[in-house]
Amino acid sequence: MVNWESNVFPGILGRTCDRPCEPACRRGRVEDEPVAICRLKRVAADNKGDVNAFMPQAPKEKNGMKVALIGGGPASLTVARDLAPLGYEIHLYDDQKAGGGMMRSQIPAFRLPESVLDEEVGYVLNLGIHTHFNTYVSSMKDMLEKDYDAIFVGTGAPKGGDLPKLPGRWDCKTNNIHLGIEWLASVAFGHTTRIGKRVIVLGGGNTAMDCCRTARRLGGEKVTVVVRSPFKDMKASPWEIADAQREDIPILNNMPPKKFVVENGKLKGMWFEQIAAVYDEHGKRSLLPTGEPDVFIEADDVIIAIGQDNAFPWIERDLGLKFGQWDMPVVDKHTFQSTLDKVFFGGDAAFGPKNVITAVAHGHQAAISIDLYCRGESVYHRPPPMTNLISQKMGIHEWSFDSAVVTDLRYAVPHVEKQAALTNRTLEVELGFDAPTGFREAQRCLNCDVQTVFNTSRCIECDACMDICPTSCISFTLNGEEADLRTRLSAPANNLEQDLYVSEDLPTGRVMIKDEDVCLHCGLCAERCPTAAWDMQKYLYQVSKAAPIWNISAL
Amino acid sequence: MTYIKPKFRHPDMPTNQIGYSKSDYEGAISTLCGGCGHDSISAAIVQACYEMSVEPHRLAKLSGIGCSSKTPTYFLSNSHGFNSVHGRMPSIATGASLANRELIYLGVSGDGDSASIGMGQFVHVIRRNVNMVYIVMNNGCYGLTKGQNSATADVNAASKSGSANLYPTIDLVGLALELGATFVARSFSGDKTQLVPLIKAAMAHPGFAFIDVVSPCVTFNNKPTSTKSYDYVREHQEATSSIDFVPSRDEIVIDYREGDSTVVELHDGSALHLHKLAPHWDPRDRASAVNRLLTAKAKGEVLTGLLYIDPGSQDMHELEQTVLQPLNTLQEKDLCPGAEALGKIMGGFR
Amino acid sequence: MEHLRAVNDMVVRFANVNGTGSASANNMFAKSIFRMGIPVAPKNIFPSNIQGLPTWYEVRVSEKGYLGRRDGIDLMVCVNPQSLAQDVASVQPGGYFVYDNTKKLHPEFVRDDIHYIGIPMTEMCNHHFSEPRQRQLFKNVVYVGALAALLDIEWDVLTGIIRDQFKKAEKLIAPNIKALELGRQYIHDHFAYPLGIRVERRDLVGDSVLIDGNTAAGLGALYGGATVAAWYPITPSTSVVNAFEKYAHQLRTDPETGRRKFAIIQAEDELAAMGMVMGATWNGARAFTATSGPGVSLMSEFLGLAYFAEIPVVLVNVQRGGPSTGMPTRTQQADLLLAAYASHGDTRQVLLFPSSPKECFDHTAAAFDLADRLQTPIIVMTDLDLGMNDHLSPPFHWDDLRAYDRGKVLDAEALESIQQFGRYLDTDGDGICYRTLPGTHPTKGSFFTRGTSKDEYARYTEDGAAYTRNVDRLMKKWETTKKYLPPPELFQESNQHAQGLLFFGTTAYPALESMDLMQAEGIGFDAIRLTAFPFNETVEAFIRDHEQVFVIEQNRDGQMRSLLINELGVNPQKLVSVLNYDGKPISANVIKNQIVGRFQAVS
Repeated sequence: MVNWESNVFPGILGRTCDRPCEPACRRGRVEDEPVAICRLKRVAADNKGDVNAFMPQAPKEKNGMKVALIGGGPASLTVARDLAPLGYEIHLYDDQKAGGGMMRSQIPAFRLPESVLDEEVGYVLNLGIHTHFNTYVSSMKDMLEKDYDAIFVGTGAPKGGDLPKLPGRWDCKTNNIHLGIEWLASVAFGHTTRIGKRVIVLGGGNTAMDCCRTARRLGGEKVTVVVRSPFKDMKASPWEIADAQREDIPILNNMPPKKFVVENGKLKGMWFEQIAAVYDEHGKRSLLPTGEPDVFIEADDVIIAIGQDNAFPWIERDLGLKFGQWDMPVVDKHTFQSTLDKVFFGGDAAFGPKNVITAVAHGHQAAISIDLYCRGESVYHRPPPMTNLISQKMGIHEWSFDSAVVTDLRYAVPHVEKQAALTNRTLEVELGFDAPTGFREAQRCLNCDVQTVFNTSRCIECDACMDICPTSCISFTLNGEEADLRTRLSAPANNLEQDLYVSEDLPTGRVMIKDEDVCLHCGLCAERCPTAAWDMQKYLYQVSKAAPIWNISAL
Repeated sequence: MTYIKPKFRHPDMPTNQIGYSKSDYEGAISTLCGGCGHDSISAAIVQACYEMSVEPHRLAKLSGIGCSSKTPTYFLSNSHGFNSVHGRMPSIATGASLANRELIYLGVSGDGDSASIGMGQFVHVIRRNVNMVYIVMNNGCYGLTKGQNSATADVNAASKSGSANLYPTIDLVGLALELGATFVARSFSGDKTQLVPLIKAAMAHPGFAFIDVVSPCVTFNNKPTSTKSYDYVREHQEATSSIDFVPSRDEIVIDYREGDSTVVELHDGSALHLHKLAPHWDPRDRASAVNRLLTAKAKGEVLTGLLYIDPGSQDMHELEQTVLQPLNTLQEKDLCPGAEALGKIMGGFR
Repeated sequence: MEHLRAVNDMVVRFANVNGTGSASANNMFAKSIFRMGIPVAPKNIFPSNIQGLPTWYEVRVSEKGYLGRRDGIDLMVCVNPQSLAQDVASVQPGGYFVYDNTKKLHPEFVRDDIHYIGIPMTEMCNHHFSEPRQRQLFKNVVYVGALAALLDIEWDVLTGIIRDQFKKAEKLIAPNIKALELGRQYIHDHFAYPLGIRVERRDLVGDSVLIDGNTAAGLGALYGGATVAAWYPITPSTSVVNAFEKYAHQLRTDPETGRRKFAIIQAEDELAAMGMVMGATWNGARAFTATSGPGVSLMSEFLGLAYFAEIPVVLVNVQRGGPSTGMPTRTQQADLLLAAYASHGDTRQVLLFPSSPKECFDHTAAAFDLADRLQTPIIVMTDLDLGMNDHLSPPFHWDDLRAYDRGKVLDAEALESIQQFGRYLDTDGDGICYRTLPGTHPTKGSFFTRGTSKDEYARYTEDGAAYTRNVDRLMKKWETTKKYLPPPELFQESNQHAQGLLFFGTTAYPALESMDLMQAEGIGFDAIRLTAFPFNETVEAFIRDHEQVFVIEQNRDGQMRSLLINELGVNPQKLVSVLNYDGKPISANVIKNQIVGRFQAVS
């Protein structure tokens, strides 16, 4: 439930997330790879057992207010999950036949089994949500006229990028040039089951990766990804690139498409230029032709997966709902409210394509805003997140958290056998960590939640903490300006984003300075402290919700 | 878990002139009590060796028995160590130095180890001017046997047991000065700014370099009645001078006002820069050091810093006129006079 | 009155006051007989004192080559009034008593069964020499001159010794020869000579040398490659280091720089001496110390550390009479148990038992190889008799091709090639592990030497299983040790008798002589001479294959017998002690009498 409380889709995200959290993981500051937070969420989700009994329930007594959610993706579902327990009557509209939005249409089943999707979408919909599937909302005006107290727009970024001006684009008379997200949806919903033997996928993002791998499963024998920019600038997650390569899909870089070759209306292949990335002194990149001959690649099908865009053709522009740059609605960054008070936006629909977990975060905040708005309160008076701080000391060197720092490198998630994977579109490639491996991977965590708390008045300046600290985080020195201090510490404090903790003055006139940057939270400072001036205290943070879902601090 | 030290180190730790980072000078995790002054001294040794760019394997660490003598396990794990028997480290160090004059010898002892059971060896290693650093981690009590007074406890000082010490204290610094030690210093475990340069200078000194380091025992002797507690020493500490050690390879960049400072040049070209000099004291004048020590004692001060240095010190190898090549590298051709010489010797016995 | 008569078979004793320079004159006497090709065995019997107390010098002349002490004095030269009564009494009936008759002999010292030869030594010296010190010294030379006539010592041999002795102080040659001449002339003028006992040139010593065991051990240390000697002065071991020092100065000083390829440190006590040796050997130098029983007691603490931490040590223990200060200037073999089990806990030390100067040299030189190979203390168990008295000995040899066995020491290259170095890891299965020296490799091979329990990687542990593994491995090493030690010497082709004699060290000479004596009486023995501890299979078999074994040793408690029972599980009934512990070297007669007495008691 901890896993689910804020994340809402741990099983889904534990398989498919872009992992914006992992670069923040401090494990990555002391070695190459952060903790596999994403895949650990999957382990937790897969092994949770039956949690139905713990799930929040929508009250039988409703509060009399109705909220419409347009789009059935993660943002909308989060709003639904947060508001339903408060008694709101929720109406969810989506043009697909089931909930999940792009998670259902764009993420291939070999990465995200339908059962997982159904389960986690189901936990939300089971809160008594009124669903309106297969229903395309074509007019905001119509919606506003209904008796909804608030409307949330979570329609994502549904428009696939194209290359309309590329020579030959429109010469092909057969249906062999596809747009990535549309093609993926078509596969997901069973409309497309085959593709040609030779396939070119254009684009370097995660959609391109999904496209090429799906193509391999639909009969594509020679699938090639062609990227216009250098390999290192590809937008796709490194692990998704690796998964594609593992399935024998070459990725060619520095090759912008030049033209489609169509003979007699039939696609033959494509010509590509060869370029190199050149950077000027400001680091600005230009892609310049190398002068090498153009390259021709044969293809039966080409999938264009070069990005996606928002599209709000269904929102009339005379409703008082303002649109700004790039034809995007004007939305408040904190409240997610549009210029039309009762209309809120979230997910990709709010600020352009991001990812699922961002959409969930938007959903939580939008739900708070909607609740405040519906109760007639200011959407700016938002509830604070829950935090606490609890000592973890058990004995001389025993803590109620696993303080030992293991040296294990990040564990790799096992995969199914490749041949089996390539012959079954819905067979999940990643097997997930087994429980023991998951535990070992979790042990790599450096316990950011446990804080080193310093009590100046108890310190006798024996230096024990400074001497023992394996990563030289602690210094006793004379106080000074921060820039100067950063050079005078036990180790240079080069990470300017990490604030220094500076204590009150100590009896000798010095101060204790802690640079949290690479602190391992091993607790040795507190263990060596003869006067308990240091303590290890667990810090909990629970993101604010419209309604309490599950009190994680009670665990 | 103080019995396991994480392997990770700060990724931005700088390296010294020979490419070693400070962690290359670390040892196993300490098993002493948290807050023990000895651990600070170990850290100061690590810092000094790092700053001196000592190759860890070119140093040998030696000790006797006691809390202090456990510490060599806790620094320089790439150095050979020898934890000998109680009070006998000086003889081991003497033998080791005889065998290989090229290594740095770092002896660690305690007040029980040096001022009681090993007093005999302590005074004789001073006489021989064995080229080594000799650190006494002085806490005025026997820690490992639970806090009995030691011979360096001050009269009337009381440890945790509460019984006041009846007998006069042995001041190892005074003793070393009297015995002709060529480098004598005292410091405090809680004052690394002073201790680290002293250890560096001691390593550069060609001969016996003695540093008595007052090192509070937090468990048994950090009480208000103790004169070796953190508070007492901080309140009564009086330094002969502040000290900078300037290795020979470094250019001297700071100018100090004349009269307030003095420079002691060591045989290897390195130098000690002393500032804020105590009155009536010259580090090269043994008598002035003795006077300064007695004056401080009369005032109830704990005199710290460099007390005396003889820059012209001749170590045991010079006195013994041994060859420059380490004795442990001599081979049969150097050592064995051979059959013919033996035949001649035999002729003398007929 | 009977006159003792013998050619080349006698015991001559000199009674002197110590500090009067008698030693060199007495040595000259012994050497002259040696140079006449006749085996001699001189012995010093001296007090623990520097000046003014009685000291004796006893020379056994034996054509048969018996080098042990023999009871009974044939000729006494007495120049010490303090011991006069005792000296007169000690002469065998028919024997001769030479004395300084400058002062008339008191009637109470006149026996009617010995022959008195009075020489006015003081008077003569006072007449011929003016310096008081010379008058004192030359009295000794005068009686040697007299003995030359009385015993028929070749004059050229004696003067040759003087010429050799004063090669570097030639002006002393003439007065010495003059003093000799005075003595000889006085006999010539006043007595019939030679006496019934006399010497006659033979060719029985071949290329042998006359040398003391301590000099031999000191030379052995020099040849064995010792570079560090750390010691504390103690009789009777002091001359071991003196000898090392003398020859090292001669042979190990760099002629160009004057710098020394050795260091000798006189320590503050034996504890420190042993500590310095261990510090040096731990650091890869060959080092040794020499001491006697009281020193071994003090060194026991370190010997335990050396055994447990496996540090090579060479220790020459020149035994003297104990316990405590005991009889510091008298001989015993009474440190056996102390040395064999030196230190607390389960310790056992390797012992070598040389019985001649040649073996003192060989064993001491070999001890350095053994110590390095076995990484443990090697204690060379000599004694005062062997160490401080000159003995007729085969000359020492050195093979110039001999290389030192430095044992299992890993250098940087070897360390490079191994995964993880374990100081106490028995990789070869012989109980001997590899060691490294400080300063060898920047990242590999460092370890912590300690007296506390440790695991195979030299890490401190109090785990009982690790401790047991370690001490059990030390027992495996103990077994391995046996094959490296010098083998015992058997005095037989095969076992021919039900009884055996077992002896070691300086007991060997009189024991062998006693065998001859008993053989003459029809009692035959097999015999074995031990050379080392731990005992090997030959020793075990010898005891197993004899009904009774007489264990001959010079201590009260039968320490070797205890050691044999303890180590080999021998039935105590089988081992019979033959003992002498009065501080004088055991004699053949004592051995014979005890054994024969035992037989008589049994029958």
